[in-house]
Amino acid sequence: MNWFGLQLCLVTCCIIGLGFVWVIRGERYLGYLWWPYTMGLGILLVIASLFLSNDWVSALLGVMGASLIWGSTELKEQAVRAELGWYPFNGEKLDPPFAEVIKKQRAPHL
Amino acid sequence: MQINFVGLVAAFAVFLGIWWGHVAVRKIEAISGRLWPPILGAILLGIIFEIFAARTESINLSAACGIIGMTLLWDAFEFYRQQKRVKNGHAPANPNNSRHAQILAEYPEATTIDLLKRSPRGREYSAEEVAAMKASVE
Repeated sequence: MNWFGLQLCLVTCCIIGLGFVWVIRGERYLGYLWWPYTMGLGILLVIASLFLSNDWVSALLGVMGASLIWGSTELKEQAVRAELGWYPFNGEKLDPPFAEVIKKQRAPHL
Repeated sequence: MQINFVGLVAAFAVFLGIWWGHVAVRKIEAISGRLWPPILGAILLGIIFEIFAARTESINLSAACGIIGMTLLWDAFEFYRQQKRVKNGHAPANPNNSRHAQILAEYPEATTIDLLKRSPRGREYSAEEVAAMKASVE
């Protein structure tokens, strides 16, 4: 028996579950324009996971990184959901650095 | 310095598992006449992946199969949630699917329009604006 995958998938389920929370809250208070920062952090975590010899630490960093990258692609759609009234809408958002530049980019969505 | 690939493998499993699950659930739920066959299929496939994750010696394969299996089990639940979104008008109904046609007839909020297909505009939509979007198809 190899318990690694089964144990990892339970922790992964919790980390993805947390993804719902930070995407919804993050979009409400900060706004979807933060997507390049969350995506960059996710990519950094995945790269960092390559250099950790402990399998559990490496796997968890990879899972957290991927979850951050996926969440980044969800932020724009979450902003529309709030505007449509499906989630509470907050008009006073805290814009990220370089918000004007980010606005000109197409926010990723899959 | 030894490179450890298990984190990268786990990251790919998470990202592709969520991405493909996200797309597949929406597509299959929209064309499937009944909801239970895809739910059952996702549960069975998820269990098969978990059994494989438990039996393989490779830590990378165990991580990948464990995570893919877990996302498949989540997808089974998402089929049910997707149908709920269709009933609420939060996901577009497919009028060529008899189950969706019945939802369109029974649930006043249901619509064939994908309301999410737009960019954020920074202001809330009024109920009248949302109603106008939904009315634009008929």
